[in-house]
Amino acid sequence: MDEKIYSSAPVSPDEVTPKNIYMNRRKFLKGMGLVSLGALLASCAPALSPEGAIPEGFPTENLPDSLTAYEAITNYVNYYEFTTDKEGVAERAQNFITDPWSVEVGGLVENPHTFSMEEILANFAQEERIYRMRCVEGWSMVIPWLGFPLHKLLDEVKPTAEARYVLFESALVPDQMNAANSGMFPFPYLEGLRLDEAMHDLTLLATGLYNEPLPPQNGAPIRLVVPWKYGFKSSKSLARIALVPDQPPTLWNTVAPQEYGFYANVNPAVSHPRWSQTTERRIGEPGRRPTLFMNGYAEEVMHLYEGINLMVNY
Amino acid sequence: MTHGIQRKHIEKWLLVATHLGSLFPLALFGWAALRGQLGFNPVETALRQSGRAAVALLILSLAVTPLRKIFNLNALHKLRKPLGLYAALYAGLHFAAFALWDYRLNLVLIWQEFLQKPYLLLGFGSLLILLILAVTSTRYWQVRLRSGWRWLQRAVYLAAVLALAHYLLAVKGDLLTLQGEYTRPLIAGAALLILFVLRVPLVYQTLQRWLRGQ
Repeated sequence: MDEKIYSSAPVSPDEVTPKNIYMNRRKFLKGMGLVSLGALLASCAPALSPEGAIPEGFPTENLPDSLTAYEAITNYVNYYEFTTDKEGVAERAQNFITDPWSVEVGGLVENPHTFSMEEILANFAQEERIYRMRCVEGWSMVIPWLGFPLHKLLDEVKPTAEARYVLFESALVPDQMNAANSGMFPFPYLEGLRLDEAMHDLTLLATGLYNEPLPPQNGAPIRLVVPWKYGFKSSKSLARIALVPDQPPTLWNTVAPQEYGFYANVNPAVSHPRWSQTTERRIGEPGRRPTLFMNGYAEEVMHLYEGINLMVNY
Repeated sequence: MTHGIQRKHIEKWLLVATHLGSLFPLALFGWAALRGQLGFNPVETALRQSGRAAVALLILSLAVTPLRKIFNLNALHKLRKPLGLYAALYAGLHFAAFALWDYRLNLVLIWQEFLQKPYLLLGFGSLLILLILAVTSTRYWQVRLRSGWRWLQRAVYLAAVLALAHYLLAVKGDLLTLQGEYTRPLIAGAALLILFVLRVPLVYQTLQRWLRGQ
């Protein structure tokens, strides 16, 4: 396995860990290539305001990133098409039909194509990626995803020169989703990435977690995972992916633009009116821990934001 | 004579019911904690439940006087104080969950959050008022402050407004378009608005007259 917090090496059958052993490997990620927060803050000092720095006396050394328990990952989720109650999603989503499923990929591409799930699983090698997940609500997890980088799929459909953004549309099935018609939110759930963000090797299309297919509440059968951005950027149950010329409207950015930026990069220096973005509660762990700039992936992704003021473009 | 005894009896049971009802959310939380059923984000659960209990009890305490006056239910008058005190207790527990459990009394971090988040200041303001009112709710302070005591206790309305503003800003969504989780805070707001309107002399006097004319 790669000595990184994420592993891009395909998982061979003998590497697959039985779930019970998996769940007990508490120190699984300890010390795996984490960049210290202090170094991160120093390296991007111009972009950070003093308010965003971690106050003295708060632990900034590398804290271990143990895998979050399967039970927590699958029972504490935001999926507003079912309910706004995080611990009520699993039950309400259990009968969501995810087979058959297909993802329509089109827009500014040379080869528009609707991929069936069978096609996706047959054509794209599934690999394990262990990512931190930081929700904008101030809680976080460490999740062993199964999936493949989005760029592999985009390479198949070949974006044209005009394509600059990628739009992700989640499935909207009102007769299977309790809250889809509540009128509280303008569904379908739309999200978007800049094309270069979408092409980044960290950006994943996940089909499983803990070596099992995604359960419905976690976005089955296929979802986006963008580990350096707040969780709401990682759309669930994708129905359509479109390459577009302009920045697409996205759900949370439409509902409350002052709170949820289009970029939504994890950034302790950009405060939120409700939740702390300086620190976070790691699910399954007592107390709070510092939130890492770019969720700890700054080394890998900072080149995407050269010359961009991240305090304004949050 | 029998009427008086009967009334005392009713008052006693109403008071017992008020104490039991007010302590019920705390007991429920304690029971869930013992059984390890506080969910995957126990701090969040504690914050949510203590906050809701505080707002509900604050509204109930404010409802006592209008109900008593309009429906002539004098048996209710002894419930106002315990309901208000329990509201202060839950507000205190709410703050304790935030400052002690969540932030481990890290004052630098707490201060930073206060500077960045106005809703925390609103909630803290409400808590301070409720605590001052709780401390001065005794006979000793009532005598000592004389007519000032009644004026001081009226600050409970300010505490309620601050608590409601805190609640509205604390839930997820957009306040301007009301897209989000606004059902509960809006119900609380509507209840407060009705109670405030009922405090206008012309309004409750008209209602009293109308009800007695029936």
